[in-house]
Amino acid sequence: MTSDLRLVRWTAVGVGVALGVLIPALLSDFLRTLAADAAIAGLIVLSLVVLTGLVGQISFCQYSFAAIGAFTVGSLVAGHHWDFWLALVVGVVFAAVVGVLVGFVALRLSGLFLAILTIGVALFFDRFVLAAGNWNSFSGGLSSWRPGRPSFFGIGLHGEYAFYLFAFGVLLAACLLVWNLRTGKTGRVLRAVRESEVAASTVGLNLTAWKLTAFGISAALAGLAGALAAVRVGSVSPGSYDFLHSISIAAIAIVAGAGSIASAAAGGIFLIFGREALIDWTSLSTQWFDLIIGAGLIFQLVYAPDGAVVDIERRVMRRLRPPKHLPREAEQRAPDKVPAAVG
Amino acid sequence: MTIAAAGISLLPGLTVIGIVLGGIYALAAIGLVLIYRVSGVLNFAHGAVAMFSTFIAYQVSVQSGLPGWIGLLAAIAAGIAMGFVIERFTMRPLTGKPVLTKVVITIGWLIVLQAAAALIWKANAYHRAVKLVSKSGFRLTGTSVVVGYDQLTTVLVALGLALATAAVLKYTTLGASMRAVADDPEAARLWGISVNRVTAASWMVGSGMAAIAGVLITPLINFDTFSLTLVVIDAFVAALIGRLTSLPFAVLGAFILGLVQTYPTAFFNNSGMHEVATFALLLVALAVLFRPGARKLRVA
Repeated sequence: MTSDLRLVRWTAVGVGVALGVLIPALLSDFLRTLAADAAIAGLIVLSLVVLTGLVGQISFCQYSFAAIGAFTVGSLVAGHHWDFWLALVVGVVFAAVVGVLVGFVALRLSGLFLAILTIGVALFFDRFVLAAGNWNSFSGGLSSWRPGRPSFFGIGLHGEYAFYLFAFGVLLAACLLVWNLRTGKTGRVLRAVRESEVAASTVGLNLTAWKLTAFGISAALAGLAGALAAVRVGSVSPGSYDFLHSISIAAIAIVAGAGSIASAAAGGIFLIFGREALIDWTSLSTQWFDLIIGAGLIFQLVYAPDGAVVDIERRVMRRLRPPKHLPREAEQRAPDKVPAAVG
Repeated sequence: MTIAAAGISLLPGLTVIGIVLGGIYALAAIGLVLIYRVSGVLNFAHGAVAMFSTFIAYQVSVQSGLPGWIGLLAAIAAGIAMGFVIERFTMRPLTGKPVLTKVVITIGWLIVLQAAAALIWKANAYHRAVKLVSKSGFRLTGTSVVVGYDQLTTVLVALGLALATAAVLKYTTLGASMRAVADDPEAARLWGISVNRVTAASWMVGSGMAAIAGVLITPLINFDTFSLTLVVIDAFVAALIGRLTSLPFAVLGAFILGLVQTYPTAFFNNSGMHEVATFALLLVALAVLFRPGARKLRVA
């Protein structure tokens, strides 16, 4: 049975990847840019999967980490004429460092207080770091950075399909990394940390290091997404990385289910194409989409706390697995860690 | 030297501004603390409830031209209604579930109210604030500082509401029930207290206070869907200084925050110092008052 399960899973992944490559080939350039945006949004959802799904921490400032990647690329490429790839590495490392710093404060906090802290971080970025006049050599002041598209081993990424494939490839690589984290030794450690910090520390796990690692990886993924977004749009401005973006993406990750890597794809597609479809088909304004996301979040948490994608996955698994190997509830429960300070 | 000297001469005026800001944050923090004490849920939608109620007042008083106090009443009614809906339909079904789930639901409400208000009243349009108190003021004796009556009202109402809430909690049956539910819902139930009703009451009263806060604040800050929603973070910092449970310390925290945000502007020619001060105080409050091994919170 287990091998059946593996077969199903890999077939699903294979079909998903094939569709991901083939469908945009048939679409218009405009829809291809949206597809690239969806892959980038998927990366940010994935960064939340690392944090929430693996160590049970919550974050409402992922777009601030993305902003670090985006503005580093913007200022270095457009302002100082650096090579994109070098700027990308600097941006991702910078984001990871800030992530570890936030994680360092977060070590002492959990649940409720971590939520407050990350909202504080997001607003600090909105109103200070990225606000015009405070750090113009980074934020670009009142004008926005305009970095050009890079080329990838000699292949220019100017075409929309080429760029989409690049973004999709990065998302796949990141998913593979997170999948490795989940299933390998690291995954077992992180899950142990998520389920019971006390138990994990009694078997000799270094909680501090692992939590900081998770924050670092999560921030690095978000920073990577920001760096890609910077060259996808070709313009970097603070409005695209504000607090409302951060809470919307957190809402989407929770609605999809932060315990699953598949949520990243589903969340990214929903965020970008859902909004576009709503505007196109119903001529409603984009605020309606936010309204739907918020209402979806409330409805889902009251009635299906584990998340839509996780719920579907579990149903499929239940069909395939003999009853005694039912997926354990605890493994799937993502954002429900009871804050120790409040419990 | 000249900058420092100029800065110091500004201090009396900045003190007034800081105290008024503190009054604003105190108004917002009182309802937050009340809801947290009784239900254990930190209401991230508190600012959004205040914002939406204030827009109701705007609709009634500015758009339809009715007197300001009718707008205020409408806003309070709207706040109470929102508090009821949030508690009854999205908190009560989750009794016994992790607190964090409920907290994330309040973030869902923040998104919903924010988007709904932006749809109804347009996010970036200019909105005229509801006028309750005259903007004219009096000069403080011995200084050149003018205190507006609207500013004075904000501070007085904040202090009055804080005292009233403390009195209700201490001396009335409802207050005693609220404290009982805050300490131990199970024991409270055994004593015949309707935990659901008391929790609903705290959400309704707390949200009604958010409405009062919103209407009083709007003449003093930007009146748009976003600014008012985000006052909640300042209220958090104030409430954190009161360990989320103490009303007097939350009010004190609010005034400290107001002054800490205002004083640096005397010495730094940079509007961003305001945010740095908020963030620094948030970090200090989290790190010192909620460090592992700190005195336990009394609320479940």
